[in-house]
Amino acid sequence: MATLWRLLPVTSLTVRQFTGGRTARLALVLSLIPALFAAIYVARPWDVTANAFAIDLFRELIVPTLLPIVVLLPATAAFGNELEDGTLPYLLMKPVSRLRLVLGKYTAVLLVTVPALIAGLAVTTAIAAQGLEPGDLGRVLAAMAGAAAAAAALLGAVFLLVSLVIPRALLAGMIYIFAWESLLGRFLPGVEAISSREYALRVFDGILDDDFAVASNAALTMLVVAVVCLLLAVWRLRNIQVD
Amino acid sequence: MHSNQLSNDLAPNELPGLPPGAESVIALRGVAKWYGDVVAVSDLTFGIGAGVTALLGPNGAGKSTILNLVSGLIRPSTGRVQVLDRAVPGDTTVYRDLGLAGEQEQLYGSLTGREFVRLNAILQKTPNPDVATGRTIALVDMADAADRQLGGYSKGMRQRIKVAAALVHDPRVLLLDEPLNGTDPVQRASLIALIRRLGDEGKTVVVSSHVLSEVERFARNVLVIVNGKLAAAGDFRTIRERMDERDHIVRIRCDDPRRLAAALVVEPVTTSIRMDDGKLIAETSDVRQFGRLVPELARRERIRLFEMQPVDESLASVFSYLVGS
Repeated sequence: MATLWRLLPVTSLTVRQFTGGRTARLALVLSLIPALFAAIYVARPWDVTANAFAIDLFRELIVPTLLPIVVLLPATAAFGNELEDGTLPYLLMKPVSRLRLVLGKYTAVLLVTVPALIAGLAVTTAIAAQGLEPGDLGRVLAAMAGAAAAAAALLGAVFLLVSLVIPRALLAGMIYIFAWESLLGRFLPGVEAISSREYALRVFDGILDDDFAVASNAALTMLVVAVVCLLLAVWRLRNIQVD
Repeated sequence: MHSNQLSNDLAPNELPGLPPGAESVIALRGVAKWYGDVVAVSDLTFGIGAGVTALLGPNGAGKSTILNLVSGLIRPSTGRVQVLDRAVPGDTTVYRDLGLAGEQEQLYGSLTGREFVRLNAILQKTPNPDVATGRTIALVDMADAADRQLGGYSKGMRQRIKVAAALVHDPRVLLLDEPLNGTDPVQRASLIALIRRLGDEGKTVVVSSHVLSEVERFARNVLVIVNGKLAAAGDFRTIRERMDERDHIVRIRCDDPRRLAAALVVEPVTTSIRMDDGKLIAETSDVRQFGRLVPELARRERIRLFEMQPVDESLASVFSYLVGS
């Protein structure tokens, strides 16, 4: 533990802030909500196979709504809480590059969200497997986990940047998730091309259909956007004024 | 523009505020900071050398803004700030030599005091963070509470752990924003002793305070800040004497105010005297001499003296006097 603090002080600090407060618990609880739906399905299975149920749940609930919220909470809190509490000077007034500060915070966001998301998906699939005609659910889980990790990496960077640029980042993020990702993204074809949901689902479908070109193309696009957001966050942190 | 140019030309050892022969470690030249229409500080040109310097001024005068400018946490709207010949904000390596215990109340509540100080040591790349942490915690007398969570700390404890965090990498320049706020008398005495010791060791220590009598205990060199401007700079005693030269108002409570008033009114140091609700309100040109004279007269006239108190010692009036002159 002490060595970890020494190697990754900013990440260790941030993870401790998440686990010490409500953020980490909330991320885990939200990630487990789909398991509840799976339990309802298993208790009274309607005319849907376990595979189709799990895939539907992932496409319609997890990717457009739950996953972005799970990422939004820690990603906006990582710098947002420091700004709000006035503790950011403890990080800024150190001979540490701004890139390291941003990467440290970003790593902490991924460390809290990705395991929670994958745990939630695993529990959900395990429960759903008790339903009708369970097929190759292991494969579905792998595709879901890959897509969720990619989506978390993208949204984590986006929300981290947003929290450094606008004051009410959590609220703005919620509006974005519900208006853009959950609602408009479904009905307006143009919106699709610039929503994280679309790219996450391409990764999912690509892995599921063994079409790795589709999956890796989508993942690459997500990675590029994430890197751009992180670099913008570094630039913002270099110019930030705190008092 | 002209005054800016002038201040830019000043050599590091010619800046106001520096004792003769001293080199500036911190230098502000023509610095102003405003937020929209609100001017926080303006026209600041001064140097701070090694030893303890107090930043003295009433609440809201701009002391914290100055410390934040020197820390590089905010950017001046005009002018230049330098610490150890490096521009701030700019190169982050300056922070190896700079520590700030700021005014912010919140700390990382879920960390213990020791973890917090150690985190600062690690981020400062201190060679042996555990040793440095233990040593600094002992310096601020926090060894007993170091393993408790910061969230449960009292204000005085938070102040001391913040000082420890700012000191853990043994910086050459230490900035302390009202470090004595919220401390009890024992903690205060030990912090003052620490500040003085650091100054004696040759570090540049800048301590902000709004309490005149407190500043006297740790700093000889003083910068008086009023309304965001430098009102006076230099040796504490010289400034204090200038304050003492003006007329002071003293309130006296005794068992025979009329007789004491009659005795006092003929004395040359008494400028005026009047009664107010059974108390004497005297104005004097020399508060120290007056302070010796009143008990003498009372003894001679066999008057019982209950209380004697200067009524205008508040910083605001002292400052308005200084700025007025």
